[in-house]
Amino acid sequence: MSCHETVKVKDSNHERKVLLVGNPNVGKSVIFSRLTGVQVESANYPGTTVDVSSGEFTWNNKKAVLIDVPGVYSLEANSVAEEVAINILEEGADLIIYVLDATNLGRNLDLALQLAKYQIPVVYALNLVDIAEMQGIVIDTKRLSELLMAPVIPTVATQNKGLKELAEVSFTDNNQELAATSQRAPVSSEMRWKKIDQIIKEVEKEGSKQESFLQRLGEWTIQPMPGWPIAIFVLLLSLGIVVGGGKGLRALILLPLVNNIIVPFITTVVSAIVPEGIFLNLLVGEYGVLIKSIEWPFALVLPYVFLFYIVFSILEDSGYLPRLAVMADATLKRLGIQGGSIIPLMLGYGCAVPAILGTRTATTKKERMIVTALVSFAIPCASQSAAFFALLGDHSLLVLVLMYLISFLALAGVGAILNRVIPGQTQPLLIEIPNLLPPDWSTLTKKLKMRMKHFLVEAEIPMFLGILLAAVVVETGLFNQVSIWIEPMVSGWLGLPPESSLSLLLGIIRRELAVLPLLELNLSTLQLLVGATLALFYLPCISVFAVLAKEFSLKFALGIGASTIAAAFLFAGIINHVGSFLLLLVG
Amino acid sequence: MNILPLALTAKNNCYLIHRMPTIPLLEVLGVRLGVFIEIVSKQPLKGPIVVRVGNREIAIDRDIAQNIIVKEVVE
Repeated sequence: MSCHETVKVKDSNHERKVLLVGNPNVGKSVIFSRLTGVQVESANYPGTTVDVSSGEFTWNNKKAVLIDVPGVYSLEANSVAEEVAINILEEGADLIIYVLDATNLGRNLDLALQLAKYQIPVVYALNLVDIAEMQGIVIDTKRLSELLMAPVIPTVATQNKGLKELAEVSFTDNNQELAATSQRAPVSSEMRWKKIDQIIKEVEKEGSKQESFLQRLGEWTIQPMPGWPIAIFVLLLSLGIVVGGGKGLRALILLPLVNNIIVPFITTVVSAIVPEGIFLNLLVGEYGVLIKSIEWPFALVLPYVFLFYIVFSILEDSGYLPRLAVMADATLKRLGIQGGSIIPLMLGYGCAVPAILGTRTATTKKERMIVTALVSFAIPCASQSAAFFALLGDHSLLVLVLMYLISFLALAGVGAILNRVIPGQTQPLLIEIPNLLPPDWSTLTKKLKMRMKHFLVEAEIPMFLGILLAAVVVETGLFNQVSIWIEPMVSGWLGLPPESSLSLLLGIIRRELAVLPLLELNLSTLQLLVGATLALFYLPCISVFAVLAKEFSLKFALGIGASTIAAAFLFAGIINHVGSFLLLLVG
Repeated sequence: MNILPLALTAKNNCYLIHRMPTIPLLEVLGVRLGVFIEIVSKQPLKGPIVVRVGNREIAIDRDIAQNIIVKEVVE
């Protein structure tokens, strides 16, 4: 993680510094991604938890550093993001590219007019002009430019329209009369809005409306009917793509590749070099590091993680998630969190680490704690889900469905309890619903690349070490001793074979490692459900533990650790005993 | 003219903001005194109310909507 790096704001050789400023949801990140090259750095702004991206912006051999200032609605330091935006503006820059949403010009101008006091030249990118036109909004850019006394470039960032002109203007000195502008800038919000109304009256003309399918769909998604069926359809479709697609990728490409080509190749080569014995077994034996650290992450886990992030990133960029938040708000409120928290919860199905970091945007401490607890307790991450699909998908779909049902029940239970126990308030929902947009592939691939890189770095090293640990304890016989020690718990209370204690040992390192060793055992259907439940609740992985300790406190992390272990043994044991009893009745 | 809390308004009707609590986020989202709003949808189970301000939709929690007083606009 690059959380400790600081954002490069002042370059030693006075490189041109350009700030990208605007409201949230105006297409700022698409413009940023299109204007900058491959090298983009994203890091916490010093002293805060807000990420600020910066990248190199070039045009005609001229270079500048482009800083993506967090999207904010005002500059009154109402939130951490606004504080960061103010700090960056106060540090100064050579130019501001201010992104205006053509479909909502008035409100966007409010922040624009507040920028005058920083005395930095501004170039306006009037974005989303295509959608504005479809909504019957025609803007006189020439007049707008005269009134704002700065260049205004109409753009459609997702189609690369207007970006060349924007880059050209950004590198041209246009000698704006800054002193004059700032003097004329309205100070109070009332005066600002008077001026905005005046500007709008002069530049905005009504054209012919032409409702697009996406617009109509957007309207539907915020009505209870058909919004709810649409939400269910979207979630099921996403699940289908991840589960079905992942299974397909594994069966058709990854498993044959790994099992028929890579593994035999490694085994042959290693066996030829390394003499038989414990060392060979460590490398290519039952838990051979070289075999399992390729088979487990690449053939089992990677396809699901990859597809999850594709689906999640598309949903995120399409503007659908705030609509889902509106739908889910009434339900989530009863768990002590607001609708907006559905986003970190969904992200938790990918990985708990970004989900917990995502709770930073939660407005109250109570809400942050509840979302974090839910993610740590009962939301399996993509890697663990992949392991569940591998373990249960082929044996018993019923158990797989049951396990997810248990997970939902636990979410409701934990949420309802914590809502009562933790003092404090839940911040009421108040959000803007952005336009529904087709995803921009260039932004999407960049985001996907970053997320996959993060997964590979975060996952592969602990996975390798975990498998090495497994290989060592199994091959040296150490494992048998540990097993005997915890056998009463595992065999007696949980009804699992003693070998499954390996899951408990490895589950400390990564969530999917609590499941994968069970693959190698021949478990009955009930044992599968018990094992799956145990793994579901069992400790979040080491990375999550570290994030909990860093973001909250060591005490909080230990508390989550202890209660997840207790819950895992309690519920898995109950399922074992109730299940055995029921089987006895049936048999 | 009918004066009532936003929470009790009817879908598809238009209203004028008459009185409202000081919530900075509400103001910057465009919900200000004297502004016209249209009720787009009301979510069930005391869920949020979605209103259209200008050209944009804003979802407002039912408890906040209880404190926003609006005037009905008769067309």
